[in-house]
Amino acid sequence: MAGSRATNKAMFWRIIRRLLGANRGRLFVILLGLGAGAAVTAALLNLQVDAKRRLTTEFRAFGPNVLILPKGSSAASSETLPESTVHLVPVNLPSGRVAVSSTLYMVASVFVPQSGKSLAAVVAGSNPLAFQTASVLSSSGPEASLNEPTPSPGQLCVAGARVAKQMGFQQDTELVLASGDSRESCRVASFRQTGGPEDDRVEIGLRAAQRLANLPDCISAIELIVPGTPGEIQSYIADLQRLLPDVDVRPIRQFTEGQAKIYNRISGLLTATVAIVLLLTGLCVMAAMTNVAMERKVDVGLMKAIGGSMRRVLRLFLAEAALLGLAGGIIGAAAGIFLSIGLGKAVFGVAARPRLIVYPVAVALTVIVAILSAFPLRRLASIRPASVFRGEA
Amino acid sequence: MSANLSMFLRIVADSFGRRPRHKLLTGAALALGMGVVTAALSVSLDVGDRLAKEFRSLGANLVVTPQADSLPLEIGGVDYRPVNAGAYLPEADLPKLKTIFWHNNIVAFAPILEVRAKALPFAHGGGQLGNWMEGVPIVGTWADNALPLPDGGEFQAGIAKTNPWWQVDGRWFSDHTMECVVGAAFAKKNHIKIGDSISLATGYVTKIPAPLKITGILTSGGPEDEAIVVPLTRAQSFARKPGQYRKLYVSALTKPEDAFAKRDPKSFTPAEYDRWFCTPYISSIAFQIQQALPGTDVRVIRKVAEGERQILTRVRMLLWLVTGAALLAAALAVGASSAASVIERRTEIGLMKALGAGSGTVGFLLAAEQLLLAFVGGGAGYAIGIVLARLLGERIFGAAPEPSLIVFFVIIALAAGVTILGSAFPLRRASQYEPAPILRGE
Repeated sequence: MAGSRATNKAMFWRIIRRLLGANRGRLFVILLGLGAGAAVTAALLNLQVDAKRRLTTEFRAFGPNVLILPKGSSAASSETLPESTVHLVPVNLPSGRVAVSSTLYMVASVFVPQSGKSLAAVVAGSNPLAFQTASVLSSSGPEASLNEPTPSPGQLCVAGARVAKQMGFQQDTELVLASGDSRESCRVASFRQTGGPEDDRVEIGLRAAQRLANLPDCISAIELIVPGTPGEIQSYIADLQRLLPDVDVRPIRQFTEGQAKIYNRISGLLTATVAIVLLLTGLCVMAAMTNVAMERKVDVGLMKAIGGSMRRVLRLFLAEAALLGLAGGIIGAAAGIFLSIGLGKAVFGVAARPRLIVYPVAVALTVIVAILSAFPLRRLASIRPASVFRGEA
Repeated sequence: MSANLSMFLRIVADSFGRRPRHKLLTGAALALGMGVVTAALSVSLDVGDRLAKEFRSLGANLVVTPQADSLPLEIGGVDYRPVNAGAYLPEADLPKLKTIFWHNNIVAFAPILEVRAKALPFAHGGGQLGNWMEGVPIVGTWADNALPLPDGGEFQAGIAKTNPWWQVDGRWFSDHTMECVVGAAFAKKNHIKIGDSISLATGYVTKIPAPLKITGILTSGGPEDEAIVVPLTRAQSFARKPGQYRKLYVSALTKPEDAFAKRDPKSFTPAEYDRWFCTPYISSIAFQIQQALPGTDVRVIRKVAEGERQILTRVRMLLWLVTGAALLAAALAVGASSAASVIERRTEIGLMKALGAGSGTVGFLLAAEQLLLAFVGGGAGYAIGIVLARLLGERIFGAAPEPSLIVFFVIIALAAGVTILGSAFPLRRASQYEPAPILRGE
C-alpha cells in the first residue's frame, strides 16, 4: 500500500512537471500575468504603508503645530518660562523626532548706524536661529552658519522682509538693537518673507535677546513641530500637559485640525485606490488564468479516459496552479518591492523602506488568486471524454 | 475584393459566434483592466482640484495690508501699536476682489480691524458682572456678510469661511447688529455665558453704552481666545475709523507653484507673462489683488502656501504612480490573455495556411479580431471605470469627478495598443508555423 502511494506521488509530480513544461510560451504568459499582479500588489502595499508615514513628515512644512506658553498667560502679558523647560520636552517619538524651538519676544528699538535710521520693532530671540528654514528667503546667505545650534553672540540676525523694506537695509548691514540700557549689535545674515508676523521682526540668537531684555534663562514660548498622525499628536499634547503641569500646552488648531482633515482624505484616497487596483489586478489575472485553464479540456478528457477520478484530476490542476502562483508570486513580489523602493524615491525623495511582511502577503495573495482562477476547471467534470476526442466540444 | 472582404468579415463573425465564452473571458479581462485604469485616471485628473479645496481648511493663504503701514509691533497675535499709528484701507473697495481675472478662485475673505477697549459684562437678567476691564483686545470682522458685488450678485464673505478651525459654541453674530462672540478664555475668566451681554467703550466713559448681546463662545486656539470678536462696523466706531480696516485675509484656490511660477514676473517675455497671469498661481493671484486694491501690499502666507504646494505635489505624483502601476498591471494581464487566445488557435492558423492564406492575411485577420475585442472591452471598461471613479470620488470627497472624453480616447487607444502588443509575439510565431505538423496534431 505504502509502495503504491509512493508511486502515485511520483506519478503526480511527473505529470505536473509535464504539464508545466509542455508549452513554454504558455508557461511564460501565465508567469508574466501572475508576476505582474504580484509585483503591483507588493509595490502598492509597500508604498501605501510607507506613504502614510511619509505624509505625516510632509506636514512639517506647515511649521510648528504645538505651542508651550506660560500658564494662564494671555498673549498680551509678558510672563516668561524658565529656559530649562525645553529639556523636559520628550523629543524622540516612534513617529520621528520632535523639532523644538524656544523664543523670547520683546519690543526693542532697531538702529542702523549706516543710515542713522531707527525704528521700534519686535525682536525675537530664538534658539535655534531661523527655525523654519523652509520659509527663509535664502538670499545667498551663509546657510551653514545659520544652522549652528548656538550662533555666536550678537553676530547674525535674520530680518523680516517688511522691517528690511521700511528701514531700507541690505544683507550684511550692521544693526544695533537697544532696549533700556542694553545694546546688542548684529549683522543681517538673510531676509525672510513668510507672510506672517515674522516679516515684521528681527530675529537674533536667544542668548543675545536674553541679555538685551535683561531676562537671563527666560523664554516666552516654545514651539514644537510634532510629527505623526492626528491621533498621535493629540495624545502627545495630552502627555506633555501631564508632564509639565506648570505650563500651558496648546495645539495650533489651524494646523492640527487642517492636517487631520487633509490626512484623513489623502489616506482614504490612497487606501481606496490601492484596494481597487489590487482587487481588479486580481480579477485581471484570474481572467487571464481562466482562459488558459479552459484549454486544458483535452488533458482532462484524456485523464478521465484512462480512469482518473475527477477529484484527482482536479487536484492535479490545482497543484499546478498553486505552483505557478508561487513562482509568479516569488518573482513578482521581489520585483514589486524593488519597484516600490524606486517609486518612494521618486515621490518623497527618500527610498521607501521595504517591509518584510509585505513579501509573504503578496506571495500568498498571488497563490490564492492562481488557485481561485483554476476553479472553473470544476465545470470540466461534466465533460465526456469521448466527445472531447471526437473533437466535438 | 468585395468577396474577399465579406469572407473576412464572415471568418471574424464566425470566430466570435463559435467560441463566445472564450471571447467573453478575454473581453472581461480587458474590460476590468481598462476599468481600473479609467477609474485611476479620472481620480488622478480630478484630485488636484478636490484636494486644493480641502487645503482651504488651513485658512487664508494671502494677507493684504496697507502699503504705507508702519511696522506692526505684534507679539502673540496682538498688535501693540496705538490706534492712530499706521495706515488703513477702505472697506468700500472690497467688492473689487471678486472682479479680478481669477475671481472664481477666491473662495473667502475677511477684513480685520483690531482695537483695544474697555469692557463691562452683564448677566442675562441685566446684573453687572464685575467692573470695567481695561485694554481688552477687540477684533472687528465679518462673520458671514452678504457683500453686494459690482455685477449685481452677492458674495458671502467672512471669518467663518477664512478660518474654518474657529469653533463657535452657540452661533456667530449677525453682521451689522449689536451682537458679538467672546473668546473661550476670556469668557471663562469672567464667567460669561451665551445670552449675557457686554458693553464696550473707548476713551472717557460718561454713560454706559448700549451692550452687545453675546451669541457664542469662540475657541480658536490662538490669541482670539482672549478677545471679543465684534461686527466690523462696531470695531470701526470704537476705533473712530468708519469704513476702514487694517488687514484682509484672502483664501484662494491655487495651482501649486512650479519652477516657472517661482521666477520673477519682471523677467518674463510677453508670452510668458500671459501664461503666468492666466494660471492661478498664488503669485499671479496676489498680483491681481494688488492691482484691484491700490495702495496695498499683498503677501503670500508662506507657511500655508508652501505646505500646500509640497503635499499637493507629492500626493499628485503618488496617485500618478499608482495609476501607472494599475496601467502596467492591466496591460500585462490583458496582453497575457490575448497572447493566450492566439496560442490556442494554432490549429485554425494551420488550416488557414494549408488553404493558401499568406502569413500577412492570417496576422491581419487575427489582429482585426483582437482589435474588435479591444474596442468592445475598452468601451465596457470605460463604463465600469466611470462608475468606480464616481463611487470613489463620492466616498472620499463627497463629489464625483466629471467623466472626461480624453480619458475615453486614451482608454480605447490603450486597449487597442495593449492587445495588439500582447498578440504580436504569438502572431509572429504563428506566421512561421508549418501547416502540415499542426494539422497532423503534432
